[in-house]
Amino acid sequence: MSVILAVAREEWRYWLRSRLAMATALLFLLLLGTTVILTALRTAQEREHRLEHQAEAEDSFVSQPERHPHRMVHYGHYAFRAPPPLAVFDPGLDPVTGQSIFLEGHRQNAAMLAEADASAELGGLGSLTPAFVYQLFGPLLVILLGYGAMVRERESSTLSTLLAQGVGGTRLFAGKALALLGVVLLVLLPLVASTIVAIAGGESVLAAGLLAGAYFLYLGVWGLLSLLLSTLLRQKATVLAALIGAWLALSLLLPNLAVNNVTRAVPMAGRIEVNFEMLAELRALGDGHNAADPAFARLRGDLLEEYGVDTVDELPINLRGVVAQYSEAKLTDTLNRYAGQRMEVERRQAAALQRHGWLTPLLAVATASRAIAGTDLRNHQRFLREAEALRFDFVQGLNRLHAEELSYADDINRSSDAAAEQRTRVAAENWQLLESFRFEPEDFTSRAAAAVPALGALAVWFAALAAGAVWTSARVRP
Amino acid sequence: MDERESKTVSTLATTLREVRLLSRDRAFALWVMLALLLSILAVAGGMNEVAQQRSTLERLVQADRIDRADAQRQHPDWGGAAYYGFHLTYDPPSDFAFAALGVRDHAPWKHRVRMLALEGQIYDRDAGNPVLALVGRFDFAFFAAYVVPLLIIVVLHDLHTSERAAGRHALLVSTAREAGGLWRQRAALRVGKIAFVALVPLLVGCAWAGTSFGTTVAATLIFLAHCSFWGLLAFWMAGRPRSSEQILATLLGVWLLLGIIAPALGTLAIDRFVPVPEGADIVMTQREAVNDAWDLPKDATMQPFMARHPQWAGYAEVGQPFHWKWYFAFQQVGDQKAEALSQDYRAGRRTRDRLAGIVAWMMPPALLERALQRLAETDLRAQMDYEQDIRDFHAELRAFYYARLFPEVPFDPSQLDELPTFTPRGDS
Repeated sequence: MSVILAVAREEWRYWLRSRLAMATALLFLLLLGTTVILTALRTAQEREHRLEHQAEAEDSFVSQPERHPHRMVHYGHYAFRAPPPLAVFDPGLDPVTGQSIFLEGHRQNAAMLAEADASAELGGLGSLTPAFVYQLFGPLLVILLGYGAMVRERESSTLSTLLAQGVGGTRLFAGKALALLGVVLLVLLPLVASTIVAIAGGESVLAAGLLAGAYFLYLGVWGLLSLLLSTLLRQKATVLAALIGAWLALSLLLPNLAVNNVTRAVPMAGRIEVNFEMLAELRALGDGHNAADPAFARLRGDLLEEYGVDTVDELPINLRGVVAQYSEAKLTDTLNRYAGQRMEVERRQAAALQRHGWLTPLLAVATASRAIAGTDLRNHQRFLREAEALRFDFVQGLNRLHAEELSYADDINRSSDAAAEQRTRVAAENWQLLESFRFEPEDFTSRAAAAVPALGALAVWFAALAAGAVWTSARVRP
Repeated sequence: MDERESKTVSTLATTLREVRLLSRDRAFALWVMLALLLSILAVAGGMNEVAQQRSTLERLVQADRIDRADAQRQHPDWGGAAYYGFHLTYDPPSDFAFAALGVRDHAPWKHRVRMLALEGQIYDRDAGNPVLALVGRFDFAFFAAYVVPLLIIVVLHDLHTSERAAGRHALLVSTAREAGGLWRQRAALRVGKIAFVALVPLLVGCAWAGTSFGTTVAATLIFLAHCSFWGLLAFWMAGRPRSSEQILATLLGVWLLLGIIAPALGTLAIDRFVPVPEGADIVMTQREAVNDAWDLPKDATMQPFMARHPQWAGYAEVGQPFHWKWYFAFQQVGDQKAEALSQDYRAGRRTRDRLAGIVAWMMPPALLERALQRLAETDLRAQMDYEQDIRDFHAELRAFYYARLFPEVPFDPSQLDELPTFTPRGDS
């Protein structure tokens, strides 16, 4: 053990003397520190804005004056997606998805206004977030510190001396690995700082721990790969070129090639295209604004029978409101079915992309990171579903008012008779039926469960490389 | 043979020798193969995407016509036809779009609008899967901006050090007629070969896609300029008296700085420096205006409407509690109320884009990507031009229906054939 510690200490001493190592590490930490602070500030501001907008939207809904309930169905409401606490570390899909949805009767609108739409385009591989910096730059730091560890001893012929002194390949390797482990732990400190901000914002410590674990595995994979190549190859320059090549392939090429691959393997029709079919189906359901639509003849007959009357004017309830309720429910079933199919395809694409995580640890860690942070596709879809539930709820509440509070005669005459129009207005207190909406982060267990496949891929990468390291290091010859 | 002639011959001989040497360099051949393979993948990926977008549009144009006819058949009046009739607008990929897909993977390039307030519809997005948009695609612009520089760095960084390691450096320098020329020639050969194999698939793609000659030449020149920048930088670094690892690490640092860190910081700074109104405010302003109109006296709508459309001033009288002309008038007034915000939003985005264009001069990869996207008409400017086309089309649609709703022209379904149709930019 003491030998291992001595080797590790020696490695650290070497790094502290090496200008290249120090400069790289300092630059990385500087970049990371800045990013952590900037992202935390930006996310806090975004969150505050959206919560404000949400409160404003609720406020303006309930403070509408008395009017016809169907008017409120079209007045509509907005749902805003507030970022979860761990978005300070990994905003995930937030910048490329719409942050708000307009909710109204008879329609499911798409989430609109993504940050990326208005942003300046300078290319780049992504916006600087702590998660992105770790994913893309972390491996480079580990490579630059680790590539020389073993091969240096070989090139300067100290390897044979060390082996002759009985240090042994395994222990030498373990010492170097221990030194690199120290680096990885040190490098994870900004992540810890970022998660502390999240924990202060209500995040569970377990999620923070799991996130740290995912990035530890990720950087560990690159550490082991660096040491492994440093042991196997015979020249420093070759080791570095090989590692940079591996980084280029795994982190730069494969993720984007995977996207090309996924769009080919799992094509997805756009919303407009899918909607054509849906619109035709919806038209067949009948127009809920028109109680005389033949599509509702059965409903009308059933109602007359149920209340034992002959004409719709005699009904104790307003037929128009009943039709509105009935058709909204039917229509929503159809809308949800199509939305569900689309989400399914999106999830299949995401899963196909995630499977590429077996090829490149970057995709694996990125998937796990978004899943743990709650900024992944699953959570965006949960937002869409919750917003839809909110929509259906207040629209049907209003339709119930329409059916129960208004007289049919007034309702059909309101376009031509001003007095009838006045009588079809219901009191403003009724608008309180709107439920307040806050998009809350998902509980930790579900997020962790969603991260399992990606974490599994990372663990397998790590284990395979560790096994390779044990096998190789035991066979080190001068 | 005079002096000059002999010099030419010997230069030719050294060049041939260098070409021969390079062709025997196995590691270099590997990088060249990689460049070729990746360029093919990039171009093929782009072609595939563009073909998919084209065939989608073909289907959409068909389905759009059928759907509108179906919807309008059920509502035999001008108001109903306007309310239920959606119209497809779209931005077809250009003949060079395959090389730089640009913002098309997160910004919508197809949109269906109807005659309601436009500000409530135009920010709707029919965009692809966000998970894929986040990673981005592997197109030629990406390959040329990020991968090619790395390849150049890798093949040039050990220009001197590899010869030193092999113990030939001193010999080479002393036997060459002019040492500087030898290294320049070697570097140029390496960069040239990488650039050449990277370019071939692009040119084949251009020929296949029918890209105009001017665009092809411009793209080639831009690409070669970018390669030259990285070639010169790497050549200069490689000549410094450092170890090959130090040279590689430094060049990698420059690449990271110019390719990733500076663009990200630039975007951040520009977005902060040029604030744009929040989209949510535009949409909410428009919606409040539209909804308030129901409870306001009809005049409150008709007056601001007539200020814009004086030609219908004779028809401003609305007798009943509900009339379609009033309904569409307040939709229009809703847009008018949100106009200032909306214009700020658009102007802000254009300013951001203009600044990004200036800042990009400091970061060659961003400059290359932007230049290729401009050629491909897949940049923010093209996106905003498309948005403007939607606005223009929507205005035409309004003009069509206003001319029938206000004078109360009797409904005649055959006139619906004269509805304006959207003509995308390239087709006009």
